[in-house]
Amino acid sequence: MSHAPIPSRALLLPTAAVLALLTACGSPASSGAGADGEPVQGGSLVYLEYQPHDSLYPPEAGFYPNGGLVNNIADRLVHQDPETLEFEPWIATDWEVDEDATEYTFTLRGDVTFSDGSPLDAEVVAANFDLYGLGDQDRALIVSEAINNYESSEVLDENTVRFHFDAPSPGFLQATSTINSGLLSAETLELAQEGFSPGNATEVIGSGPFVVSDEELGTGLTLTAREDYAWAPESWENQGRPYLDEVRINVTPEDSVRVGALTSGQAHVARYVQAQDEERVEAAGIEILAPQTNGVNNSLSLRFGNEILSDLKVRRALVAGIDRQEVVDTIYTDHYPPATSTLSSTAQGYADQSEYLEYDPERAEELLEEAGWTVGSDGIREKDGERLSLVVNEAAPQPRSFETLTLVGRQLAGIGVDLQILAADAGTYTEAINDPDQVQLYHSMVGRADHDVIKSQYHSRNRNTLLNRDPKGDSVEDERLEELLEAVASTADPEERDEASAEAQRYLSEQAYVIPLFEEPQVYGVAPSVHGIGFESVARPSFQGVWLSE
Amino acid sequence: MRYVLRRVGQAVVVLFAAFTAAFVLLQAMPGDAVMIRFENPELGLSPEQIAALREAYGVDVPAHRQFLHTLLGFLRGDFGYSVQSGTPVSRMIAEALPGTLLLASLGFVVAVILAVGIAFLSTYPRLSWIRGALRALPSLFVSVPVFWLGILLVQVFSFRLGLVSVIAPGPVEGLILPVLTLAVPISAPLAQILVRSIDEVYTRPFVTVVRSRGAGHHRVLWRDVAGNALLPALTMAGVLFGELIGGAVVTETVFGRAGLGRLTEQAVGNQDVAVLQAVVLLTATVFVLINLCVDLLYPLLDPRLRTKAGAAA
Repeated sequence: MSHAPIPSRALLLPTAAVLALLTACGSPASSGAGADGEPVQGGSLVYLEYQPHDSLYPPEAGFYPNGGLVNNIADRLVHQDPETLEFEPWIATDWEVDEDATEYTFTLRGDVTFSDGSPLDAEVVAANFDLYGLGDQDRALIVSEAINNYESSEVLDENTVRFHFDAPSPGFLQATSTINSGLLSAETLELAQEGFSPGNATEVIGSGPFVVSDEELGTGLTLTAREDYAWAPESWENQGRPYLDEVRINVTPEDSVRVGALTSGQAHVARYVQAQDEERVEAAGIEILAPQTNGVNNSLSLRFGNEILSDLKVRRALVAGIDRQEVVDTIYTDHYPPATSTLSSTAQGYADQSEYLEYDPERAEELLEEAGWTVGSDGIREKDGERLSLVVNEAAPQPRSFETLTLVGRQLAGIGVDLQILAADAGTYTEAINDPDQVQLYHSMVGRADHDVIKSQYHSRNRNTLLNRDPKGDSVEDERLEELLEAVASTADPEERDEASAEAQRYLSEQAYVIPLFEEPQVYGVAPSVHGIGFESVARPSFQGVWLSE
Repeated sequence: MRYVLRRVGQAVVVLFAAFTAAFVLLQAMPGDAVMIRFENPELGLSPEQIAALREAYGVDVPAHRQFLHTLLGFLRGDFGYSVQSGTPVSRMIAEALPGTLLLASLGFVVAVILAVGIAFLSTYPRLSWIRGALRALPSLFVSVPVFWLGILLVQVFSFRLGLVSVIAPGPVEGLILPVLTLAVPISAPLAQILVRSIDEVYTRPFVTVVRSRGAGHHRVLWRDVAGNALLPALTMAGVLFGELIGGAVVTETVFGRAGLGRLTEQAVGNQDVAVLQAVVLLTATVFVLINLCVDLLYPLLDPRLRTKAGAAA
C-alpha cells in the first residue's frame, strides 16, 4: 500500500486542478511579523511530521522521524558544526586520539544530568557506547552503522572514559557527534527493542534540551523544555533552557494537508515539503529551508553482478545516457543541486568527478553498439535475442523517486534501454532489491557528514547497495573496491583520508558503478514567526534555539 | 434460544476460519516482517547480524508451531508485538479502536440521516420538480473518491475558510470533516436501496387500499411504506461496515487521526504480520457481531420471519 499508492496517484490530477482553483481565488495566508529581534521566552511550536517515528534507539535514528526526536532529547559527546563540519566540545570538554586512531579518551563536563536526575558520568557514557558499538542481539538492538571496529570501553575516573578499537577507527570522533550516538540514561540502556518503541517514548531518557512528555501512538508527541538545561555547545546562540515551552509534533502524512496547514497558519514548521509545492508555499510567505544531508548523493547503484551490467561499456553508456540537469530542472528546484560525484559537494572527502558524468547520448549509443547491443524493432536494443531491459526500485523514502525514475526511463529509452520501475509490497520489494537479477539499478542515498559514509553505502558488509557481495552466494565480486572503501574507514591521517576517499570516488566513476543524480536536501517549510531553527549535520531539526514572534 | 445458540456457534466457527485463513495467507506472502525491517539496506547490517536477529525473533520456526503459539496467545488475549516497531499489538489496537469506533458510528449515523433524507425527499410529491436531481445524488456520492472528498473538505473548510482546524483540533472540531468525508460514500448505497424499496412498496396493492381509505401522503409514507422499505436497508448495514473500514483507512490518513484504518494501512505497508493478524480477527469479529445482530433483529421487525425462526427452533 505505501509503496504503490496507485489510486492516489490516479487522483492527483483532479485534486491538483481543484487546489489550483482554490489557490487562485484566495489570498495568501501568513502569520506573524518577520522581524528578528530579542528572543521571546515561551510558546508552543507546532511541527508537522510526515511519518510516525518507529524507534528512539539512537542507532536507528537514521530514519528522519526518529532522528528529529533523538536530536532534541539526547546530547552527544562532541558537537559537529553543520556548516564547517568542525568539532567542538559538548558533553565532552576535551578528547584525545592516539596516532593510529585505535584509542579515544574523552573528558566529560561532569555537571550534566539526565532528565530523570541521574548523572551523566563516565560510567554511563561507557555503557552507551558498549551498546551502540557492539549491539545486543538478544534484545534485538542493532550495532550503530556509524561505529567501526569497536572493541571495549574503560572508565578511567568519574569523568574520563576511554574507548578501544581493534583496528583504526578514524571516523569515531564524528560518530560520537551523530544522532546515532545520542547519550541515554543507564536505566534506558537496559530497555529491549520494545522499550524504545512507539508507545514508550516518555520512558526514553536523555540529557537533551527537551523531554518527551506526552505521546499519542502514531499521531503525535509533545516535547517539553528542560528548565535546567545548561550545557549547550558553545556555538549555540541560546546557552540556557530552550526558549520554547514545548514542541507539539503532529504526524500528518498527507502532503497537501501539511502544506495547507502551514500556509493557513495552523502550524509553524513542516518537514518534507515536496519540490512541486515549494512555489506555493513561498508564495504564501513561508520560508523554505533546505539543509543538505552531506553524504552519498541521491543516486542509482549499478549492480555489476548482473550479467548485462557486468559489461563496463554498458555501465558507461548508462552513465552517459542520463541528463541529470534535466532531472533537476524538471522534477526538483534549486535546492537540489545536480551531483558532481558519488558524494555531495558538501560531504567530507568530496572529489569532483564531473568529467565522468557528462551527458553524451551519442557516446552512450556508440558504447552500446560496441558492446553488441543493436536496436530492435521497437527501438529497444537487443543482443542474442535478449532485450536490454533493466529494473529500478522506486525508493519510497526519497523525494519524488517515481517521477525521477520515469524521466530517467525516458532518457534511457532514447539510447535504446528499457527501464522498468519496481513498486511492490514490502516483502516482494525487499527480496527483489537484494537480488541483482531482479533489481539492477538501486535508487538510494545516505546522509552522514564523515568520510565513512562512502563505505557505509558501498561496502559489502554495510549497505552493500552495489550488491558487491551477492546475498545468495555470499562471495565478494570486486575486492579492489572493498580495499579502497576499507582504506577510507581506517586511514588515521586526515589528509590521507581525503585522498583515500577521492580514490574510492574515482574508482566508482571509472568503473561506472554509480549514476549520481543530485545532492539531496531535507526541505522544511518554516512560518515567518519562527526564528532560530537549526539543523544538525544531516539536516535533523534542532528546537533548542527556536523562538516565536507572535 | 437454540436458534441463538446455533447462530453464536456459527459465529465462532467463522472467526476461527478467518484467523486460520489470515495466518496462512500472511505466511504465504513473500518475505517476512523481520526481513523487511532488518534487511533494509538503510540499517547497514551485516549478514551475520541479520542472521542473529532472525534467530532472536524466532522467524524461522516451523509454521505449524508458530500457528499454535499465535492461536494460544490470542486465546489468552496476548496479540504479541508489532514486528515493525516493537510496540505491543494490544496497546496499538486499544489506542486505535476507540477513535475508529467513534468515527465509524458517527459516520454511519450521518450516512443514515443523509440517505433517509434523500430517499424521502425524493418521494415527496411537492418536491417532484427536483426529484431527478435528488435521485441522481446517490450515484454522484457513490462515485466520489473518499480521498479526494477529504482533501477538498480540508482545503475549503479548514485552509480557505478557517472554520475548523485540522492540526490538533478539539475533540468535536476534529470529527466534523472526517465524519462528513466518511458519511457521503456510505450514504449512497443506503439511499439507493431506500429509494428503490420505497418505490416498490408504493406499487403494492395494500398502499392503494390504505390510500383509498383517505390516508394522506405522510401517513402512508411513515406508517406503511417506511417500515417495509427499511428491511432491505438493514441487511445492507452489515455489508456497509466493510466500506466504513475501507473509508476509515483513507479518512484517517488524510486527517492524521489515530485509528484502525491508519494502523492497518501502515501494517500492510510494512507487512507487519502480528498487527495484521489481530486486525483481521478484530474486523472479522465486528462483522460477525453486526451480522448476528441483524439476524437477531430481523424477526423482531418482520413477523413472517418470526414464525419461520420459531419453526426452525
